[in-house]
Amino acid sequence: MNKSGNLITTEDLKIYFPVRRFLRTVGYVKAVDGVSLHISKGETVALVGESGSGKTTFGRALLGLVRPSGGRIVFDGLDITDLEEKDMKRVRRRMGVVFQDPYASLNPVFPIYRIVEEPLVVNRMGTPEERREVVMKALEDVRLTPPEFFASKYPHMLSGGQRQRVAIARAIITNPDLVVADEPVSMLDASIRVEILTLFKEIQQRHNVSFLYITHDMATAKYFSERIAIMYAGKIVELGPTKEVLSDPLHPYTQALIEAIPDPDPTNRFRFRKVTPGQPPSLINPPSGCRFHPRCQYLIQGTCDVVEPMLIRIKGERYVACHLYEKPPMEREGHQ
Amino acid sequence: MDSEAVEPLLKVTDLVLKYSTRAGPVRAVDGISFTVRPGETLALVGESGSGKSSTALAIIRILPRNVAEFSGSVVFNGTELMKLDDEEFRRKVRVGGISMVFQGAMNSLNPVLKVGFQVAESLIVNVGLSKQEAMKKAEEAVELVGLDRTVVQRYPHELSGGMKQRVLIAMALITRPKLVILDEPTSALDVMTQANIMNLLKRLKAEMSLTYVFITHDLALASELADRVGVMYGGKIVELGPSDTVYSNPRHPYTKLLLESVPMLRADRPPTFIPGTPPDLINPPPGCRFHPRCPYFMKGKCDAKVPKEFRTDSDHLAACWLLEERGDE
Repeated sequence: MNKSGNLITTEDLKIYFPVRRFLRTVGYVKAVDGVSLHISKGETVALVGESGSGKTTFGRALLGLVRPSGGRIVFDGLDITDLEEKDMKRVRRRMGVVFQDPYASLNPVFPIYRIVEEPLVVNRMGTPEERREVVMKALEDVRLTPPEFFASKYPHMLSGGQRQRVAIARAIITNPDLVVADEPVSMLDASIRVEILTLFKEIQQRHNVSFLYITHDMATAKYFSERIAIMYAGKIVELGPTKEVLSDPLHPYTQALIEAIPDPDPTNRFRFRKVTPGQPPSLINPPSGCRFHPRCQYLIQGTCDVVEPMLIRIKGERYVACHLYEKPPMEREGHQ
Repeated sequence: MDSEAVEPLLKVTDLVLKYSTRAGPVRAVDGISFTVRPGETLALVGESGSGKSSTALAIIRILPRNVAEFSGSVVFNGTELMKLDDEEFRRKVRVGGISMVFQGAMNSLNPVLKVGFQVAESLIVNVGLSKQEAMKKAEEAVELVGLDRTVVQRYPHELSGGMKQRVLIAMALITRPKLVILDEPTSALDVMTQANIMNLLKRLKAEMSLTYVFITHDLALASELADRVGVMYGGKIVELGPSDTVYSNPRHPYTKLLLESVPMLRADRPPTFIPGTPPDLINPPPGCRFHPRCPYFMKGKCDAKVPKEFRTDSDHLAACWLLEERGDE
């Protein structure tokens, strides 16, 4: 959309983890294998995939927490792919992170004040008085009011939703440009999920923050992201404006994922869901060609199992990595 | 459907379960009543702390040590379970009576025992079959849930999450129960694996004419199995009725708001949330427990008197004073 407004861009990003047997490297887990994605300023991109698809590893790479094996990451014009830790630390000040489990991500022996203040202390930002003001403001931003009341509490005194608000306050305390939220609501109750996601949206509008919303939940992604990237076995298989992708999914994997998710509807009980057979592949020896081909009902022998599909633009902002869409539209009909 | 026509398989009346804590007794389950008819699925839906899992534990009598009060009536297949001692309970209920599939497929299996033995164990311990016979039954049971027989020779760490969940279902079915309690049977599983497990549960229900009590916090998932739905809030059932009317015409404000908080994939309706927090079950609010969060709150009524259950249709109940105002048909 606005190419000039890209905050962070990855180009052909690869993250491989060595598999060691005794002291020898016998292979690699290709957790992220050639992902190109950008997030614009003030945009939320949902990164959706099943466990093991590489979505969390991708998020960690943006934060500089894992070193890429190949490709590039450019943050606001600066190539951060191979930055030294001390330089990365300065960049990381402009990033925040919210993890999945608010019961594990907050230090139980710190009061809330200290948890939220810590990024400022680590980055030597402000005097104690200035920090105090910023912390109180952040607690107010996440609706933990009155902030003085919550500041002195310990994590165990708070509910799951309140803890996640603390985690969000900590993530936004340095006034970051990018927040990576890794399954931020999947441990919370349904009614609280929407409340927390609404809070993210408000914060985004107020501070013009970009979000990478990592999730397995397409239904929340639908209402809380502008674009969606579907990840399968280390690769993006489909990318586009969220509502368009979810109402008219192109990739067979996206179609299968959507089919698997129920909406509240009492007639569900009378029908079986069409489920794609098989399991996501091993990331050590992924299938040749398209990684989804062993499970795909539209498999084209000799193409899908041999040639790896590229992520190509279909129309507008929509991209898909599938051989079904590489043919001229007339021929495509024949494979349906 | 007429509720009186069929003798219920399970009839729970005024069930109360309180836990003692340092801060005082927690009213986890506070006087709930419901029936489950043979062959139907009742979904108990509620947020964490609403008492749905405690209800299941009370029915199958797996209670923690800090129980302060446990009362009411649970009639299963014509037998009052509250009067049975532990030995009778084991013989009459645990074998061929009520089974439970626990949540947390990842952690429910013993990592150092082969899967087959774990599936067969209740036949050896409770039924007294020989190990060979029990293992043969275990092979049949894992096949029934769509796994290969050779799975019995494997250890839990060799299986995927979905396979482990199938093993837990096989374990629950091996005693040929009449009623199976499913407590969040797909939590922590990926969406496709979840869909697979739900398909399996549907198939088993039809093939073995099983009766389920399905416990979940997810209204969308509940609709995959539920013939009837009970919505729990703060230790009480606030609405109970056929899925067809509960989903399309919820009568309790909590049910309505909970449904509106579910993000829909196939319809375009932005989800909303319920302001406030669930009640403290040590000091629950007086009157209706939902009144501090309810948009239809009537002062002097909702905060004063516990709402009666109003029958809105032949088989649909809701505990809300609004229904009295609108005329109790």
